[in-house]
Order: sequence, then C-alpha cells, then structure tokens
Amino acid sequence: MTNLDHTAHRLASPISASPLPVRAGIGLKAQHYQEIFDTAPDIGWLEVHSENYMCAGGPTQTWLSAMRECFAISLHGVGLSLGSAGPLDSSHLKRLIDLERRVEPGQVSEHLSWSVADGVYLNDLIALPYTEESLEIFSTHVLQMQDALKRRVLIENPSSYLRYAHSVIPEPEFLLNVAQRSDCAVLLDVNNVFVSAMNHGFDPIAYLDQIPADLIGEVHLGGHSQVVFDDRVLRIDDHGSKVCDEVWALYERLIQRTGPKPTLIEWDSNIPELSVLLDEAAKADRILAHAASREEVHHAVAV
Amino acid sequence: MPSLFELQNALRDVSLGGDASALASTIIGDDFAPEQRLNVHRNNTTILLSEALGATYSVVKKLVGDEFFDAVAGLFVRAQPPRSPCLFEYGEGFGDFLATLPATTDLAYLPDVAHLEWIWNAAFHAADVKPLTSADLAPVAPDAYGDLIFSPHPSLHLIHSPFPIKEIWDVNQCCTDPDATVNLDEGPQSLTVLRPKANVEMIELSPEGFVFANQLSEGATLAEAFAATQNTVPDFDPAPTLAVLISVGAFQSYTLRS
Repeated sequence: MTNLDHTAHRLASPISASPLPVRAGIGLKAQHYQEIFDTAPDIGWLEVHSENYMCAGGPTQTWLSAMRECFAISLHGVGLSLGSAGPLDSSHLKRLIDLERRVEPGQVSEHLSWSVADGVYLNDLIALPYTEESLEIFSTHVLQMQDALKRRVLIENPSSYLRYAHSVIPEPEFLLNVAQRSDCAVLLDVNNVFVSAMNHGFDPIAYLDQIPADLIGEVHLGGHSQVVFDDRVLRIDDHGSKVCDEVWALYERLIQRTGPKPTLIEWDSNIPELSVLLDEAAKADRILAHAASREEVHHAVAV
Repeated sequence: MPSLFELQNALRDVSLGGDASALASTIIGDDFAPEQRLNVHRNNTTILLSEALGATYSVVKKLVGDEFFDAVAGLFVRAQPPRSPCLFEYGEGFGDFLATLPATTDLAYLPDVAHLEWIWNAAFHAADVKPLTSADLAPVAPDAYGDLIFSPHPSLHLIHSPFPIKEIWDVNQCCTDPDATVNLDEGPQSLTVLRPKANVEMIELSPEGFVFANQLSEGATLAEAFAATQNTVPDFDPAPTLAVLISVGAFQSYTLRS
C-alpha cells in the first residue's frame, strides 16, 4: 500500500460522526481503497461490513482510518446474529464496541435474520420464523446491542428464500414490532423487499408503504441474480450487479413518500470498477435531489 | 412446532450438508420443493465460505485449480465450519486438513504452502506495534546480554518446511511470470514471516538460525537459546541471526531475567 503511514492513528476527523449525510453512499471495497484515497470522489458516505475490520491491526484498519478522515462511515454488521436462540456472543459484541469507538460511525446496523446456530457461523443471513418466541428473542437482542453500544441501531429487512409453516406474523409487522419494543430504527433495503416479494408472491409496494418515514434511518439498493428451478425463478440477493429497473422504480416511489434518506449502493460480489458504483450512486443522488426540491416547493407553498 | 433453537440447529445441519427432508414439513414450498428453497442456504454457506478460504489460500487454489479447491474447501467447510463471524480468522486448520486427504498425497508440499499462507494472513491482521530496534538495547550492559528475554512482535511467525515454500509462494503471486518454475529438490527452507510495518515480509533463516529464533520467540533467554542451538550446531555464532531478527523487527520489547 502506498501513500499511507501504517502508524497513523485517526485524529478527530473533520467529518461529523452523526448522522449520515442525506445522500447516496457506496460500500467500501478493498479493490477501491487506493482510487478513493487518490481521487476523493464526490460521494456522500461509505459503508463497511463491521466484521472485516475487527482485526487487531494491519492495513485494512489503516485504510479505514484514512477513509474516516474524509467520509462519514456506516458500520453494517453481518455477524452478530440477533435472531439466534441463546445469548448474544459477548466477545463479538465487545469487538463491535471497540470498532464503533474507533470509527465513530454515522450509523450502526444489523439484520433481521440469524446466521449462528449453537456457535457455528454459517456466513448466511437466514430469515426467522415470525413468531412470538422469535419476536421476544430478537427484540431483547436488539435492546442488548443498543445498551452495549449506547446508541440506537438500524435493523435491516432481509431477503428471504423460504418461509416457515409456523410463521404467524407478516414480516413488516414483525419489523415494526421489533422497532416498537426495542426503540431501534429501520434500514430499509428496497432490493430485499423486491427479492422476497418475488420469491414469495407478495406486493412489494404494500410492504414498503407500511414502514413509517420517520423510522427509516437508511435505505439500501443492490443488485440480485436469478436461478431457475424447473422453469420457476428464485431471486438471489448476491449484490453482484446493477440495481434493476423494478427496484429503482420502487425506490423512487419510496423516496417520494418519505423524502430523502441516506441511500447505499451495495456491491459485494463480481465487484466492478469504482466508476460503476459512482454512476449508480449518482443515479440515487438525482432521485434524492429531486425529492428534496419537491419538499422545498411544498414548504414554500405551505409558508 | 419446533422451538427456535431446534429449528436453527436443524437448518444448520442442512446448510452443512445434512439431509434436508427432515425439515421439509417446516418449510412452505409455494411452487418449489422445500428442499430447493433450503438448498439456497446450503449453497450460500458452502460457496461463500469456500470463497473466503480461497481468498486466504490463494496460492493453494492456484496450485490445485479452482475445481479441485472448491471441492476440498466444501469438505473442509462441513468438517470445520467457522466459530467466529470474522472470516479473516477462518481456516487455520486447512493445511492440516489437506494433509489428511488421499487426493493430495502427490502434492506433499501443499500442506506447508497452506501453513505459510495461514501465517501470512495472521501476520497481515496482527496488531500494529513498533518493533524493537538495536538502539533500544543500548542501556543493556554487554555482560547482561545472556539474560535478555525478547517479547516477539505480535505478527512474528516461524515456519520450516522440507520444500522451498517461499519460492512456490513467490511464483504463484499475481503478476509473476506464468512460466516460472520451482525446483522442489532445492531443499528445506526455514522462514520468519512478520509484518513490522505495512507489508508482510518473509525472511529466510539458516537451519540453526531457525532453532535459535524459535527458542527466543518462546521466551528463552539469549544464553539459553544459544546453548540449545549449540546442541545442534556446536560452532553456531548467534550474532548474525540476532542482528537479522532485530533488523527485520522480530521483537517488540525485552526484559532482563533477574
């Protein structure tokens, strides 16, 4: 790595810790560290997977510190497994607290899902059965996470590939119940809503419309793929392509209702040139700017 | 209706290759067989964890080819799934696992290459600590040198192999000559692998220097390490090896045995 002194520790950053700028951000990938550092592109903020930066030291941490000097950062967790039966992994939570103190992120988020069973990490975000039992477990874990971090966190709706016969609560209702019981906010992933809606045959618009605007702290957009089983298609949330047209349309409709929200372009597999991510972010920024100008007009009329 | 604990354990077993039919009645098929839906999760776990292993073990992957690697990684994932969500910590046992496979007996150097990649990975993610320099030792009186105990740098690792693993590693990095070859009969190799600053470095040691470095890294005094090495090589001169170890940043601090 060049241009970076590995011994540099982050000074108080000139970039405010909170909240995230109401603009489009992109997921930070190792392939793009140097180019972002060299070119300082006009992006609102960066998001990282918390677990990738929980190492004791080394270049990945140094890069994150360098990025934090220039951008607000969102810490997006994929490993706390809030939906697992049994206690939260206290050593993992401790590592998250250490990272949060170091990075001073604009947001900290996790998923409405589970990935650990009896100590084994499956590296997968698996949907919960939506029952009173799992609502109690999940909400308690969110409360514990927030108590440990001393901050409100965002919980993201999952992409799902299966539903359980004993699930009794519709997913958006479950998510709102979690928010009510734990006082967390929502990271609304529009692509996930679309993927799940296609996989299970529900209306994505009705789902999105149920989430109150003031509960949404961040929005995610990403690409997904399709696999065919006997002429039937399952959509897989692999974050390996551009956001599809249907998801852009849902996003535009959402932002018209809620007003501008910090919006992430996620891309985690088949990672392209940085310019591709920046183009997607610019597209989201245009939608956000349009919604902001509409709000101004409404405000002017009201005055 | 299964409890959440029961359901998650059952689904974990399916994701790690177990029989999906036991869970089928719990899953709503909805135009698909329940097993097809469960299979998405099995694929996620197998493929994504194999990719994580492939990132850590990129040289092994290049040596055996993608198809073979994915098959072996899939076996490893099922035998030793991760216990931590931090995947840079996943896969320590992969080298030993490779050594147990009949299919790799013709590639005797493969487990050692894997061990080298693992310690490279560990050094890369180790804590950042300023290494001890020779100037730091200035206060130590020469007649007290024998009582010196060095605390190894957090990134320090030592590895010995009957094969030239550093050369194998070197020619399998990206951007190297695709036609480069390694003579496997070049003989054994002893290495120290560490990251004193931003970059991981591999430095070759003499066989006796390796014994000496091992002693020091395990907390022996300089006198004890010298004596232990002399048992192997009676005319061993510790000064050059010690100078190399200090200059590459192998230690973070010292104490004197009182």
